[in-house]
Amino acid sequence: MDKRKIEENIFKGLMIFSTFIIFGSIVFILVTIFLKGFPALSFDMITKTPKGGYYLGKEGGILNAILGSIVLGLGATLFAFLISVPIVFYLNLYLKRKSKLAFFIRFSLDVLWGIPSIVYGAFGFVLMVFFGFGASLLAGIITVGFLIIPIMARSMDEVLKMIPQELKEASYALGATKLETAVKVIFKQAMPGILTAVLLGFGRAIGDAAAVLFTAGFTDYLPYSLFKPVATLPLAIFFQLGTPFPEVQERGYASALILTIIILFINISARMLAKKFNKNIVK
Amino acid sequence: MKFKTHISIKDLNVWYEKHQVLNNINIDIPDKKITVIIGPSGCGKTTLLKSFNRLIDLQDGVMVSGQVFVDGENIYDEKIEVTHLRKKMGLLSQRPQVLPMSIYDNVAYSPRIHGLKNKKKLDELVEHELNEAGLWNEVKERLSGPASKLSIGQQQRLCLARGLAADPEIILGDEPTSALDPISAEKIEQRFLDLKNKYTIVLVTHNLRQAKRLADYVIFLYLGNIIEYGKADEIFKNPKYSKTKDYLNGKFIEEHKIDKELNLKGTVCPDNFVKTKVALEELEVGQVLRIIIDYEQAVIEVPKTIEYEGHKVLEVKSINRTDWEIIIEKRNDGEI
Amino acid sequence: MNTRKFKDAIAKKIMFSFCVFILSLAFLIGFILYQKAKPILGVQNLWQLLLSGKWHPTTGQFGMAGFILGTLWVTLIAVFIAVPVSILTSLYLSEYMPKRVKEFTKPVIDLLAGISPVIYGVWGVIAVVPFVRDYLMPFLSENLPFFPFVSDNYTGFCALSGGIVLAIMISPLMVSVMGEVLGAVSFEMRETSLALGATRWQTIKFVVLKKAWPGIIAAIILGISRAFGETIAVLMVAGCSIQEFPKSIFDTAYPLPALIANTYGEMMSIPLYDSSVLLAALILLVVTILFNIIGWGILFKSENE
Ligand SMILES: Nc1ncnc2c1ncn2[C@@H]1O[C@H](COP(=O)(O)OP(=O)(O)OP(=O)(O)O)[C@@H](O)[C@H]1O
Ligand SMILES: [Mg+2]
Repeated sequence: MDKRKIEENIFKGLMIFSTFIIFGSIVFILVTIFLKGFPALSFDMITKTPKGGYYLGKEGGILNAILGSIVLGLGATLFAFLISVPIVFYLNLYLKRKSKLAFFIRFSLDVLWGIPSIVYGAFGFVLMVFFGFGASLLAGIITVGFLIIPIMARSMDEVLKMIPQELKEASYALGATKLETAVKVIFKQAMPGILTAVLLGFGRAIGDAAAVLFTAGFTDYLPYSLFKPVATLPLAIFFQLGTPFPEVQERGYASALILTIIILFINISARMLAKKFNKNIVK
Repeated sequence: MKFKTHISIKDLNVWYEKHQVLNNINIDIPDKKITVIIGPSGCGKTTLLKSFNRLIDLQDGVMVSGQVFVDGENIYDEKIEVTHLRKKMGLLSQRPQVLPMSIYDNVAYSPRIHGLKNKKKLDELVEHELNEAGLWNEVKERLSGPASKLSIGQQQRLCLARGLAADPEIILGDEPTSALDPISAEKIEQRFLDLKNKYTIVLVTHNLRQAKRLADYVIFLYLGNIIEYGKADEIFKNPKYSKTKDYLNGKFIEEHKIDKELNLKGTVCPDNFVKTKVALEELEVGQVLRIIIDYEQAVIEVPKTIEYEGHKVLEVKSINRTDWEIIIEKRNDGEI
Repeated sequence: MNTRKFKDAIAKKIMFSFCVFILSLAFLIGFILYQKAKPILGVQNLWQLLLSGKWHPTTGQFGMAGFILGTLWVTLIAVFIAVPVSILTSLYLSEYMPKRVKEFTKPVIDLLAGISPVIYGVWGVIAVVPFVRDYLMPFLSENLPFFPFVSDNYTGFCALSGGIVLAIMISPLMVSVMGEVLGAVSFEMRETSLALGATRWQTIKFVVLKKAWPGIIAAIILGISRAFGETIAVLMVAGCSIQEFPKSIFDTAYPLPALIANTYGEMMSIPLYDSSVLLAALILLVVTILFNIIGWGILFKSENE
């Protein structure tokens, strides 16, 4: 075999090995979490709130954190949605494809996407103190909302970019204004794609820990007020793993399994919706 | 036909997915002669050409049956080292594809990847091949400059030199002059006539006058079948089959139904493809746009970008000394 | 003007104001953090804060060098692992894998990117830390008993564990950006090289990478900036006790984001503490914004060429 072939085979081997590492790692992570989490999973965990001494190994569950994360995630998603929609519609209806402004908006969305969530957390914390309220569901919603705006807006933008120009023109030709076109035509056409973007944002919102650490606080109670602290699943996991008691740590693994399942579920639904959307647009 | 055979094709069939594009091809291609493949668009000329150096292997979902013998060896044999096979054949494509490196490195690419390191030998080789391609005098001052800065005609000659540097036995050309201005095209044609003493040359062309000027032998391909194959003067003077006759009389040459025209003379990159894109956005899928440009760089860049966007470039050809036309069919809506 | 037109005009104004808001959000965050960081910058010199390793909030010493070096150390390890793996993987996906199989890989990569950082942390604690403690560290420090493989921290909670977890976390981003960059290199370019008798690998080395390297650098820059800011996962596995200077991959590391996350709760009670922590956040913000501007700038530029 000549030298070229040997080099080719070495690098091909390395490539296969790397690909295996990347795809193996996801399997490894999921399997580890499942194997460790499943034995500790119990009905109590998802139906009860922590009773006194839960973090010392006593009775209870993490319903507070599950519900808290869902409520906070929904709130943040709604907040981000309300800000993202006008932006992406402005980008795709009122601006030309090659406009400078559109470039800058997309560019800053990409840059915002790169800002770490701990920085959003610190920002939310300062705002919260400035407006005079403490760690609360509302502060968490706004902070996490900011965090997911770039993700949501950028993926919605990708969807809206695919809407055929003819469709818009057909609507203008009927005398519709741009706003009416946006609401009646585009929104409807892009609905599955927009939902996918929303779900992706929701997944991120539920999974993030660093942004809620300062702002949402933590509590053993179920979420009941916008102005009271709220428990979140990632933090519950973090705290449970931080205790020195093996049985609490076990529950931490079980909580991690619950969070993983929720995120898997959200991701797979988003994926399926995206598929449906692609089918629609191709024809 | 009596000649020394260089490439011998036996029962060659090619499918893309389930769609058969070549049916039972059986021909012998003569050594050190120019063989020209003609036929209407989409009949499989490119596929046939690329089956000689197994470039069709790169296509997704392609299936090949039959044999192709080059120098008596079946190239579809498992034991064949495909890089050695490809080294034997220089390929010129419709639009010149220079590699992203200097002029010198382009020519030296093939010898280098096959292990030649000696700087002096490389220098000699580069000069020699550039001379063979008739480009040396134009570029000897700027060998280390980027190849992409050359004009299109020069780029195509550079591609020829690059192919020759691999020390091939065979030169394959897939409409190598169709994107060139008439003067550059003539230069390339002249190179072919000079080179045919040393190399076996197989060309695809749509240009019948060019075929007449160059061909020793002609293959007429129609819907994946060889209709007629023989000495050029015989086929051009009295074709045996009515299909060939029709084609030679221009009955076949499809007129693309143009839905929209755009004159982009005087615009430069990237302005011209932005305008092309905008124009395409206004068309329906399946409609055809014809653009006229006079900016050389755009002849490569515009079709490349447009195809990258997922549309189909049906034709690129020069229509007079300064202008080209590009015919594009709209395939999708914006991003894919 | 009729009401429909009026509504349209109003909506346009409102949408535009949202756009202005998003354009200024990064500045707003920066401005607010800067306001909060001012008190400490008023009493101490910025360079002194950045270059001093003395972090004793109770005595008013807020030198962040230890944390900055911790960030750099963990990031360096992560990049060292993730960059080659990501480049090779994206090359394999784009150059060798049949299109049909490739379609299945994108959702998996996206999923890997979508997993919660906490889950990565849990996985790190369960799998990576014991592996490093029981196998990697004994093996490496026995066979290579010199810098950076010796340490007296035998817990497995160390810079290397943090680096490994981070590497897996930043790979999906790099793989997908690199995948896009490689996808932009034309098929004809590869075909040309192969037609000249080059092997696949030679084509990659001399043509594909030559065309794609700015984008690949951009992907790496984005990956690095992602690693800088990652908080919870690193906090969970890197040990997080202060090192003046990283001496070993098996030492604990205490990166900046972990500092910010950890000091929540105590920081209100000590003067200037909150200000210094928010300064840390500001530094993180400025650095990641810078990296992102460079990374995306390169990508946008090569996209337009
Ligand atoms: N990669 C591919 N996948 C599927 N079908 C293909 C592919 N490449 C070519 N075809 C089809 O195979 C047929 C022959 O194509 P080919 O490119 O060989 O034609 P051609 O004679 O060179 O045409 P032209 O004169 O336009 O260059 C066409 O119908 C084309 O659509
Ligand atoms: Mg062809």
